[in-house]
Amino acid sequence: MTTRRRRVVGWLAGALSLALAVGTASAHGGSLAGGGRESITVPTWLFLSTGGAAVGASFLLASFVTDRAFIDRIHDWGTPLTVGDSRLPALLARAVGLAGYVTVLVIGFLGPTTPQTNLAILLVWVGWWAGLAMTAYLIGNTWRALNPLDTIALVLPSLDRPYPDRVGAWPSVVGLLALIWLEVVSPLADDPRLLATAIVGYSGLTLAGAVVFGRETWFAEADPVERVFRYYGRVAPIGWADGSLRLRLPGMDLSTPRLVDGRDEVAFVVALLWGTTFDGLVVTPAFTDLTMPLVDAGLPPELLYPLALAAGFGLFLGAYWFAVGLSRRAADTYLDEATLAERFAPPLLAIAAGYHLAHYLGYFLVLAPALWVALLSPLSDPGAVPIYEPPGWFGGVGIAAVVVGHLVAIWVAHAAAYDAFPSRLQAVRSQYPFIAVMVFYTMTSLWVISRPEVPLPYL
Amino acid sequence: MTDDYDVPEDAEGYECRYCGRPFAREEWLALHRGLDHPAQLDDGEVAAFRAAHDDEESALGNFRLRALGALVLVYFCLLMIYALV
Repeated sequence: MTTRRRRVVGWLAGALSLALAVGTASAHGGSLAGGGRESITVPTWLFLSTGGAAVGASFLLASFVTDRAFIDRIHDWGTPLTVGDSRLPALLARAVGLAGYVTVLVIGFLGPTTPQTNLAILLVWVGWWAGLAMTAYLIGNTWRALNPLDTIALVLPSLDRPYPDRVGAWPSVVGLLALIWLEVVSPLADDPRLLATAIVGYSGLTLAGAVVFGRETWFAEADPVERVFRYYGRVAPIGWADGSLRLRLPGMDLSTPRLVDGRDEVAFVVALLWGTTFDGLVVTPAFTDLTMPLVDAGLPPELLYPLALAAGFGLFLGAYWFAVGLSRRAADTYLDEATLAERFAPPLLAIAAGYHLAHYLGYFLVLAPALWVALLSPLSDPGAVPIYEPPGWFGGVGIAAVVVGHLVAIWVAHAAAYDAFPSRLQAVRSQYPFIAVMVFYTMTSLWVISRPEVPLPYL
Repeated sequence: MTDDYDVPEDAEGYECRYCGRPFAREEWLALHRGLDHPAQLDDGEVAAFRAAHDDEESALGNFRLRALGALVLVYFCLLMIYALV
């Protein structure tokens, strides 16, 4: 993400950061009687503590729900959605995906070079990474049907080499971290030619993988993008169950057993959470201040970002496994650590989705008109593009998204604990370490989205 | 689906005779049998489940009181802080 994109992304934090820059947020409390307005100021630490307290209090509230049958009813509630036998929707989706893919490549290489009017840039970052990802957790995952590389792989031969079990999801973990690194440090959001080249590179790698190991295996195991959308799709109300579409309450699909299977998949969930955080973290002034001594001491700036990315991922993963260890002791259970880690990883996806929404909803709305204009005239440069100005209260939507993500996570973790332990008190106790981590994480992410944005240092 | 267990060597464990899952406490085993294998229990196991369930209910009552206390505390602490800041 580069300066220009950050500027647009930044409006969300902007509304807040303007007020929070000096350590206080101002809110307006209108008085009906007097018709006057007075400003109340809330210091940052209090804003953060309130967010943390909201999460802690919701855990206490959730712990009042002790009726196993009621929890099961909430989680099993759903209606099957009728799907016709027609193959037309699937074909149509593949065609749309393929058309989008070709458009991005053609416009990327041949279209206007100003990023704000280039359809390839807008389609990838606004339409796909912000818009489609949001629909994946708000409505349902459509990437499985749209994925143009999957469509291309259909017509390619396959060597069907056995995919090594030991490798599992690790390539997708590494791939996701690499994508985040690329997205943060490279001018991919500014330079359509570079973006198109990067997509060609990624496509080459993906198609080669699909040819060697088989299309289904590659996209199920190793492809990071497919996995991101699949995991986000689990938060959504509409999903596949036993071969048919089913409407459920949002997030309830996360309680499906074996959703996350193995240490590799736990690592992927944590990487997804860390990636969304890292994206916001690097543009805070604190990141610059923290890393300044390192760069002054001679650390090459090119190394700084991958190192920070890897170190933060290690820290997040370490904290998660530490919490798992504590939880195992608090619950006095004989379930092993890996089993507990798998059980309690899916709720993190709701948190990641909430944070993604906080980060990208504003960005999407601001640039959606530009995307529309570029879609109408992809090859000519319209010069100025329309931009949506969100109202002032919109900053609150981001905060609400972060908090709601945590609330869903708390409920899902509550249900997972009830499922794992026969004693309900034991289930509550097993949650303590995770709640502590969640409170800490809510405060961190609220702090990140409330900081002013500064340009990426040293790039 | 199978879970993996990790029982410490010197620990006393209570193993479920239907599925083999080990528990650290006897009442948890009783609860587990009632929840996961309700159709297979003999009379003694049913009685053990009921007893464990009743104990759990009263312990939960205690817990609810403490949780309510904590909630009220959090609420009033924040209220006071907001009033003072």
